[in-house]
Amino acid sequence: MMKNPVWRLLRHNISAAQLAGYALANLVGLTIVITAIQFYRDITAVWNAEDSFISRDYLILSHHVSGLGSVLGTSKTEFDDEEIADLEAQPWVRRVGRFTSSNFNVSASVNMGGNALNTALFLESIPSEFFDVEPDGWHWQPGQPVPVIISKEYLTLYNFGFASSRGLPQISESMISMVPLQLSLSGAGRQQWVKARIVGFSSRLNTIAVPEEFLKWANAEFSEEPARAPSRLIVEVNTPGDPAIRQYLESNSLESAGDKVDNGRAAYFLSVTTAVVIAVGAIISILAFFILLLSIYLLLQKNREKLRDLMMQGYAPASVARLYYIIVVAVNAAVLCASVIVMLIGSHLWKEPLQSIGADTGSPAVAILTAVIIMSVITAGNFLAISINVRRTFPRP
Amino acid sequence: MISEITLEHTLPLVFSGMEGEEPLRSSQVWLNQVRFTLRGYYLIEAESGTGKSSLCSFIYGNRGDYSGRILFDGKDISTFSIERWCELRQKSLAYLPQEMRLFPELTVMENIDIKNRLTGFRSKEWIKSALERMEIGKKADVPASRLSVGQQQRAAIIRALCQPFDFLLIDEPVSHLDERNNSIAASLIAEEADRNGAAVIATSVGNKIQLPFTSILSL
Repeated sequence: MMKNPVWRLLRHNISAAQLAGYALANLVGLTIVITAIQFYRDITAVWNAEDSFISRDYLILSHHVSGLGSVLGTSKTEFDDEEIADLEAQPWVRRVGRFTSSNFNVSASVNMGGNALNTALFLESIPSEFFDVEPDGWHWQPGQPVPVIISKEYLTLYNFGFASSRGLPQISESMISMVPLQLSLSGAGRQQWVKARIVGFSSRLNTIAVPEEFLKWANAEFSEEPARAPSRLIVEVNTPGDPAIRQYLESNSLESAGDKVDNGRAAYFLSVTTAVVIAVGAIISILAFFILLLSIYLLLQKNREKLRDLMMQGYAPASVARLYYIIVVAVNAAVLCASVIVMLIGSHLWKEPLQSIGADTGSPAVAILTAVIIMSVITAGNFLAISINVRRTFPRP
Repeated sequence: MISEITLEHTLPLVFSGMEGEEPLRSSQVWLNQVRFTLRGYYLIEAESGTGKSSLCSFIYGNRGDYSGRILFDGKDISTFSIERWCELRQKSLAYLPQEMRLFPELTVMENIDIKNRLTGFRSKEWIKSALERMEIGKKADVPASRLSVGQQQRAAIIRALCQPFDFLLIDEPVSHLDERNNSIAASLIAEEADRNGAAVIATSVGNKIQLPFTSILSL
């Protein structure tokens, strides 16, 4: 390669130390940026994996239950229209949905390996539009089996509390979906058996949820009293970690199910931390970019006479700049590869603890793509600087 | 391809305001209409300090500090793009600057090769025989910095000939050559110019190259 006398001329004054300094600085900056992105994605993948139906932007609110009041019936558990209107007026609220509950008797019976289990139940529903992803076959028509979503905690209670003490088999999420379920609905002097099927589990919906249209039909059919006001609300919020939410809940003695507010605060905190870390990495990368730019300017300045003499011989600016383009591409490609490798090693290290708590981590595609985009922008910036500089040196009237 | 170079009232900016004084008043080039055409041998005779190297730079397009116009086939060269200049310097316009501008760290052969690899115009054999003819064959692999000025001049002449050209600008090409080497260089240049059907524009402050000049202009 160095047989070409043009390149032998132009490689003079190239400072390996400057290039190494740039490469190291940019490696650090880029690695911080993409590792932070990957870490953030892996952690949020863990959170989002918790619930595929209801995202963490939702809160489920109920009144705080205080000892005596509820027994004596002096404290209310229902939300009246005034309270709901007040909640809807809060700036952090996007929309409010009401839980509908069953006003009749429900019991379920499961036949499992010859053992018939019977239990009294209650059913609730939330408006379908509050599902991020609607479960398969969520809609119901008379005559069809009723799709049901139950709280993950119920399954945990069964598996680790009930089943192990009674010598019953433990069941997995996929198994339970195949178990046929019979619901007995009764009230208003009527009784009917309907088939039901568990279509999913949720850790955010701490209830037994059925489609709204089924509950409307069943309440009309079996309820003796008029519809009650909802005792629980589902609220979509703008920023889950907003401190104003906590303040409002406290001053109105409301409770958020599963304390997802804290989860939201952690998410908020994590995104702020990630943003700060990414910003630090980006600043290092930008500074590194300027180191390289400065180094290139210095190099072109030192070789200015030679560049000009070559172009006097008829060499085009692009062909004398080619050596510098190649150097920039080689260094930047090396930095890109090295930082992706460091990021992958890092994510491999934290993958194991995350998987041990049962979470799938995210794919590195976004972090790698970000690295490629950043390096492409830096390379394009360097190319532009070289091109402008060399063309300015070109001998012309 | 250029078939005609025209100067229209050209004057270096450093001379502006001195139009009525000597040596500008009697100059046959500055502030005149001058035409250079193919197959002509032009000698620009000048005293030092009258802008002879400036004239070469203006025509070669590496300086633009003049008033008036310079035209190639009727087109103002100040409007040419970088790409056009590259093409002209590879195919139509050859130039030997007075200070030669050889790369001192490269050998004579490498200096010539830098031009020839761009144009692909000469064979290795032609270059070797030209070096022999100019009596610097033994210097082919010696860095240009270790050559005498006269040897550098001869190497630079060969480099200038390593391209097709319509016009060859030679700025004091033989200032450091003796009578015999002058005529060797002149015969090589004349041969190549005739073969290309090209014109030669040479300058001199005293020791002029022994070419069959068709026109002598005083600057």
